Amino acid sequence: MQITLTVNGEQRELEVTPYTRLLDLLREDLGLTGVKEGCGKGECGACTVIMNGELTASCLVPAPQADQAEIITVEGLGTRDNLHPIQESFVEAGAVQCGYCIPGMVLAGKRLLDENPKPTEKEVRYGLSGNICRCTGYAKIIDAVMLAADKLAVEGSDSND
Amino acid sequence: MMRKSPMKQESRQTISGVDFKEYFQPESIQKALEIRAEYGDQIEVAAGSTDLLVANYEKLHEIKYWLDLVKLDQLKKIEVIDNELHIGAMVTHLQLMKSDLIKKNLAVLAAAAEDVGSPQIRSRGTIGGNICTSSPAGDLLAPLLSYGASFKLQSTEGERIVKAEEFFTGPKRNSMETDELLTEIIIPLTDNKREGSWIKVGRRKALVISTLTLAVVLEFEGEKIVKAGIAMGSVAPTPVRLKGIEAVMVDQKLTDLDYKALGREVKASINPIDDLRGTKEYREDVAVDVMVRALKEIERKVSS
Amino acid sequence: MTDQSKRIKDYFCKHTTRCTIEGVKKSKRFVGHDVLKADAWDKVTGDAVYPDDISFDDMLYIKIKRAVHPHAILKDIDISRAKKVQGVVDIIVAEDIPDVRQFGLIIRDQPVLIAPGEKMRYMGDALAIVVAETKEAAKKARDLIKVKVEELEVITDPFRAMEDDAPNIHPDGNIVITHHLNRGDVDTAFKDSAIVEENRYQTQFIDQLPMQNEAGVALYDERHGVVDIWAATQWLHDTQADVAQSLRLSKDQVRIIQPTIGGAFGKKEDVSVHIHLAIAAMRTGRPVKLCFTREESMITQSKRHPITIINKTGVDRDGYLTAWETKFIGDTGAYASSGPAVVHKGMYHATGPYNCPNLRGVSHAVYTNNTYAGAMRGFGTAQGAFAYEQQMDILAHKLNMDPAEFRLKNIYKKDSITPNGQQLTHSVNAEETIKRVMELSDWKGGRK
Repeated sequence: MQITLTVNGEQRELEVTPYTRLLDLLREDLGLTGVKEGCGKGECGACTVIMNGELTASCLVPAPQADQAEIITVEGLGTRDNLHPIQESFVEAGAVQCGYCIPGMVLAGKRLLDENPKPTEKEVRYGLSGNICRCTGYAKIIDAVMLAADKLAVEGSDSND
Repeated sequence: MMRKSPMKQESRQTISGVDFKEYFQPESIQKALEIRAEYGDQIEVAAGSTDLLVANYEKLHEIKYWLDLVKLDQLKKIEVIDNELHIGAMVTHLQLMKSDLIKKNLAVLAAAAEDVGSPQIRSRGTIGGNICTSSPAGDLLAPLLSYGASFKLQSTEGERIVKAEEFFTGPKRNSMETDELLTEIIIPLTDNKREGSWIKVGRRKALVISTLTLAVVLEFEGEKIVKAGIAMGSVAPTPVRLKGIEAVMVDQKLTDLDYKALGREVKASINPIDDLRGTKEYREDVAVDVMVRALKEIERKVSS
Repeated sequence: MTDQSKRIKDYFCKHTTRCTIEGVKKSKRFVGHDVLKADAWDKVTGDAVYPDDISFDDMLYIKIKRAVHPHAILKDIDISRAKKVQGVVDIIVAEDIPDVRQFGLIIRDQPVLIAPGEKMRYMGDALAIVVAETKEAAKKARDLIKVKVEELEVITDPFRAMEDDAPNIHPDGNIVITHHLNRGDVDTAFKDSAIVEENRYQTQFIDQLPMQNEAGVALYDERHGVVDIWAATQWLHDTQADVAQSLRLSKDQVRIIQPTIGGAFGKKEDVSVHIHLAIAAMRTGRPVKLCFTREESMITQSKRHPITIINKTGVDRDGYLTAWETKFIGDTGAYASSGPAVVHKGMYHATGPYNCPNLRGVSHAVYTNNTYAGAMRGFGTAQGAFAYEQQMDILAHKLNMDPAEFRLKNIYKKDSITPNGQQLTHSVNAEETIKRVMELSDWKGGRK
């Protein structure tokens, strides 16, 4: 069966089966391997994407349910040479270790800051509560999101001047 | 043979090409009911899929028939009709926790929705799915019982309204027929002052299946309690409403009640089991404490 | 400068190389600087290539049929129905690979596939390798494999395993290894002690739970006779040697290429997907991929050892440790893995960072039918720390002494000698650490 969806701003028409998960569709059909599978059961957040504006575990979405959806993956944020401020903050805050949770963390952080540009630490923790990291103990990941909030605020005020 | 260097997967755009004719994504309730009538319990009903895909992990390909309700926009509304709140079955947990109507009128339900899973789960998981999965640990179920909710079940033959406490019949079992779909959740509103408390006990704050839940909803006329709804999850084969304790509280002033004694009543009224989320003994002890905590919280809210 | 931009600048000072701290002499490049992680850019953009991210156009997928009982003799394995599943390319059972040898980190006690007449020893043992065109076909075929077994007593408790009438899980018995420790005159010291405290401690299985499950891709170059394996390992050279000996290849015929590792924490010291991948690639001549599910990873690969620790500790009236006796029994599960080394190291750390002149210890790694235990952060010392710190608290309590003061009396200092006879000649900061913690936590004493 055929579905149409927009991935990182680009419209795609794709042939899928009901047992294709959105995760498989993104990774295998579209080559967006920044979307990771850690548990396959919505527990770890490694497969997080932003779907129609909300954080979504792509391992729990049958591909046909993504028909007409708008999807953002980590690949849609920025590139090596042109990082999104939140990606830059993860690099600078030393928030990255094995890196497997990072695409999901970056997207969860972005989604949080889109809605709440000046979060408290508690709000950051709540915003990232669906993402598990086994390396860092979270401290520097939270630092990274706070740092990104500051950067985006400065960026915003600069462009206003 | 040629050796290829490993690289990131290129877009291939063909994994099946097989045309699945029996994946249905109807856009009208009538059409959905017809499909449900034809396939009965052979068909997997998909709402937010957050339970369905966990239960069928590694064997998704074995599901033959799908009834996907995701395009039934009629079931994604929250509205007031004749002093009743009607919540569509496809309303997500995220919608519940953000809706002003729910926050204002059903604060305990909004609080429970906020405690479900994680942001990633709340954005997809639905109230209808939570009800139809009928897990004794389903977080929305105790609040629905406390608010005296009813469920509208529809089939091609017509519709019926079932009270929440009559709907759940066992762990992951309910009284829905195989040709029926849950379409709406109906909760009576009131002009009285309503205060409540939601307590979830689990091993973590996020992504945890509850060890025990308690929802208390009290309606006041002046200082007098005129209606009480007390329900718990994960303490019996189904979520349970504790009507005996509700009866004790009605017509009393909150501050005249002995919270600790009510807590002990709660402990005596439940029938928990040992499982990997907690022992029977633990749950019974915690039940006493959470009841006291809930009543103190309501007392604080009422007095402020 | 706004507050916010100052905060960002402070952050750079803390975390990057872009500014220097005045007054501190620094090297020109790295030492003394905070350095940004070289691969962080790849990881924040999703560019980093982990094992599951590698694939080839004509790649086949592998699923493993695993044990159906934790301790049983395999009587028969029937793959006839499974072979008929559309898309199945090969199903490999033990009789197809008669020359393949057992593998293992320290003791080569792990079979690659269980043959009829042999025993499965835990739920993770592999019975067949299913290779198919799609993941779905591989799963379907795996679930159609029929197995007959003769069930044996399942041993889940190492103390049961050590009893005389317990069935042997491996031919040489259930005690994999025994280590001893002896220093000074323990018996006399206990006799002369003011207080002697004996307690039994038990720790549990813990999964290292790296975010990425074991996964890999392999490719066989028939012309050169070389198999390439892209899969994570913590010991590249050791895994290569073990895979090579198991497959009776020379080491230069096995190339292990390390992709980005999605966490390991000890779990990826053991061979996981590697040998099965190599066998499937060599038999089919096509690229193959094998990814464990989370359940498979938990059932199949190593854990932190559950250890029973019996500590007997003597102390004199002034609060100095006099003698310490420890028994250290590690449940290493169905296979030895790093077990022999873990219980060895754990025992030598039985007294933690505390001086004690008279020591006696014994440690065993014991086979059971549990999932095998291996390396995890600390390698036996974390379990020991739980036990010795409890001992210290209990003794302080009995002495009516502040537990911090009691620790300071006994803490390692420069020139202290550890249980294995090592003299600490420099950089012993334990005393300073305790004092600093007391200061930072505003410690007010902990006398009962």
